[in-house]
Amino acid sequence: MQILSILAFVLIVITAMAILVFRDWRIVSAALLLQYLGAFAMVTQSWPVEIAVIKLIVGWMATAAISLTYFRRENVSLFAETPSSFIFRSLIGLLTILVVFISAPRLQANVFPELDLLVLQSGLMLIGLSLMQLGTTQDPFLTVVGLLSVLSGFEVIYAGLELSSLLTGLLAIVNLGLSLVGVYFIIKVGDNVSLSTKEDEEEDQ
Amino acid sequence: MTLSTPILWVLLPLVVAVLSLAAFNRKVFSILLTSLTSFFLAGLAFGFPESMALSLGPLSLSFTESLGILGREITLKYELLPFISLIYFVNGLWALGSGIKGVSRIFRPTSLVVTALLTAALGVQPFLYAALLIETAILVSIPMLSPLGKAPHPGILRYLTLQTLAMPFILLAGWLLSGVEALPPESPLIIQSALILGLGIALWLALFPFHSWVPMVFESSNPLVTSFLQFMIPTVVALFSLNFLNRYTFLRESEGLYQILQTIGVITIALGGSWAAVQKNLKRVFGFATLVETGFSLLAIGLANQGGLVWLLTLMPARALSYWLWAFILARIEERNGKTDLDHIDGFARRFPILSIGLLLAQLSVAGMPLLAEFPTKLTLLTAALESNPILGVWGFIGTLGLFLFTLRLLVHLVKPLPEGEPAQWGISENRSELIPVLVMVGVLIIIGLFPKGLLENILQTLMAFSQLR
Repeated sequence: MQILSILAFVLIVITAMAILVFRDWRIVSAALLLQYLGAFAMVTQSWPVEIAVIKLIVGWMATAAISLTYFRRENVSLFAETPSSFIFRSLIGLLTILVVFISAPRLQANVFPELDLLVLQSGLMLIGLSLMQLGTTQDPFLTVVGLLSVLSGFEVIYAGLELSSLLTGLLAIVNLGLSLVGVYFIIKVGDNVSLSTKEDEEEDQ
Repeated sequence: MTLSTPILWVLLPLVVAVLSLAAFNRKVFSILLTSLTSFFLAGLAFGFPESMALSLGPLSLSFTESLGILGREITLKYELLPFISLIYFVNGLWALGSGIKGVSRIFRPTSLVVTALLTAALGVQPFLYAALLIETAILVSIPMLSPLGKAPHPGILRYLTLQTLAMPFILLAGWLLSGVEALPPESPLIIQSALILGLGIALWLALFPFHSWVPMVFESSNPLVTSFLQFMIPTVVALFSLNFLNRYTFLRESEGLYQILQTIGVITIALGGSWAAVQKNLKRVFGFATLVETGFSLLAIGLANQGGLVWLLTLMPARALSYWLWAFILARIEERNGKTDLDHIDGFARRFPILSIGLLLAQLSVAGMPLLAEFPTKLTLLTAALESNPILGVWGFIGTLGLFLFTLRLLVHLVKPLPEGEPAQWGISENRSELIPVLVMVGVLIIIGLFPKGLLENILQTLMAFSQLR
C-alpha cells in the first residue's frame, strides 16, 4: 500500500510539473489524465475504492470533454514559447515543490494530524503547482486545466477529512461543470453553435 | 398533500429554467415565463402563511421546511422567506429588462438557475455545503458573461479563477472550525481557521486585492448581466456568512473580529470610491460602485452590536432597485451610443435627457444622496461608524464622496454642447420602452428615500433565522 502511495505521489508531482511547464495541449491533456489516476490512488487511502472511483471517472470525463473539444478545433496553433519562459516555469515549479516539502510536515503536525503526510504532500503539490499555472497563463484551456488540478488537490486532502455522498456528488458536478465551462470557452464560432449573442443581435436588428 | 419549501423555491425554478432554455428562441415568451415565475415565487414567499399551509379551492397544501437529498437536507425556514422573496423579485426585475440588445438569450434561464442554486445554498445543511452550490451558480453564470464562440475576456477568466478558489477555502475553514469550538480562545488554530474562512469570503466578495476582475468584467459584458451577478452573489454570500457568526460562539463574541470587519469594509469603500472617482468608462465605474456597496455590507456586519445587521438587510432592496436602474440605463446608452466612455457621451443629455437624469439619480442613489433610496441607511451606517471609530468614519465618508465626484464629472460631459453641425437644442428622443421603466424606477427610489421604514421593514424578519444574532 505504501509503495502504491509513493508511486501515486511521484505520478502526481511529475504530471503537475508537466502541466505547469509545457504548453502543448496534447502533453497537458495526457498529464491531466494521468494526474487523476494518481489522485484516485491517493483518495483510496481514505475512501472505499467504490466511492473513490467516482473521482477518477469524473476527472477523466472532464479531461476528455475539454481535450476532445480542443482536438476538434482546426489549425490549433501551438503556444509561442521562448526558452526563458520555459525555464522560468520550471524554476517556479521546483521552488513550489521545495516549499511543499518544507512546509507539509509542520502543517500536518499543527493542522491535519490525522492526515497521512504523503496524502497531504500530494494535495499541496497539486494545489501549489496549479496555482503557479494559473498565475502564468491567460489561456482558457490552461486556466480550466489549472482549476481542475487545484480542485483535484483539494479533494485529495479533503477526502482524508470527510466522507459524504452529497459532498462527493456536488464536487463531481463542480468538476464536470468546470470542464463544460472550458468547452464553452474553447468552442469556436464556426462550430455551428446556436446560442450566440451574434444571433441575438441580428434578431434585434 | 404535503410539499416542502425547497420544492417551491429550488426545484420549481430549475424546471422553469429548463423550459425557458428550450424556448430561448422565443424572446417574449422566454421573458414572460422567467419574469412571471420569479415574481410569482417572490410574491408567494412574501405572503406565505406562517402556518405553512395553503388552500387552493378544494386542494389543501401543507408545507414542510426540509427536503432530503443524498442523506443531507435543504431547509428553507419560514424566517428566510422575506430574503428569498427579495432575490426572486430581483430575478424577475432583471428578466423583465433583459429584452435589451446585447443581453444574451441564455441570460433568462441561467439567471433563474443561479437564483435557485443560491436559494438552495442558503438552506443546505450542513451549511458549509453551500460553498459547492455557490460555485455551481458561478459556473452557470459564465455563459451570461461570455458570448459563445468568442475568446473569453481575461476578466472573466479571473472571475472564474478567483471565485472557484474560494470554495476550497470555505470547505476547509468549515472543517477546521468544527474542530476548534472546544479550544481556548488563544489557540493559534482558531486564528488559522478564521484566516482561511476570511480568505474564502474575501475571494467571493471580490475584496481588495481580489477585486481586479470586477471592473474588467463590467467593462467587457452587458451591465444588466454584470449588475445581476454583482448583486446576487455578494448579497447571498453576506447572508450566508452570518451563519458562521450565528453558529460559532468564539467568532460571535470576538470583539477583534468586528473591528477587523469594520476596517476591511471601510478600506473597500475608500478604495472603491477613489477608483470610481477617476474612471473614464461608465461601466467600470459601476463595477467599482458595487465594490463600495460590498464595503458597506461588511461595515454593517462589523457594526452588528450597534444594530448593523438591520442596516445590512435594509440596504439590500434599495441597492437592488438602484442597480437595476443604473444597469438598464447603461445598457440603453451602450445601445444608443455604442461606447460608454465619458468622452463619447458629450452632449448626450441634450438628446436623451430622461435617460441622463435617470443615470445621474441611479448613481446618486447608490452614493447615498439625500431623498434617494439608500440615503437613510447609509447615513445611519456612517454615523455609527464615526461613533465607533472616527478615523474609519471619516474614511467611509471620503470613499462615499468618490461616486459623487464621478457623478459631477459625468454631468459636465452629459450637458456639454454638441460638436458643430449637430442640432444644439434640447429634445426628448427616448421611446416609451425607455421612458416608462426609468420614470417608474426613479419614482420608486424617491418614495423609498422618503418613507424607508414602511417599505424596507419586511426583510428584517430574515434576522429571525439567525437566532444568536438577534
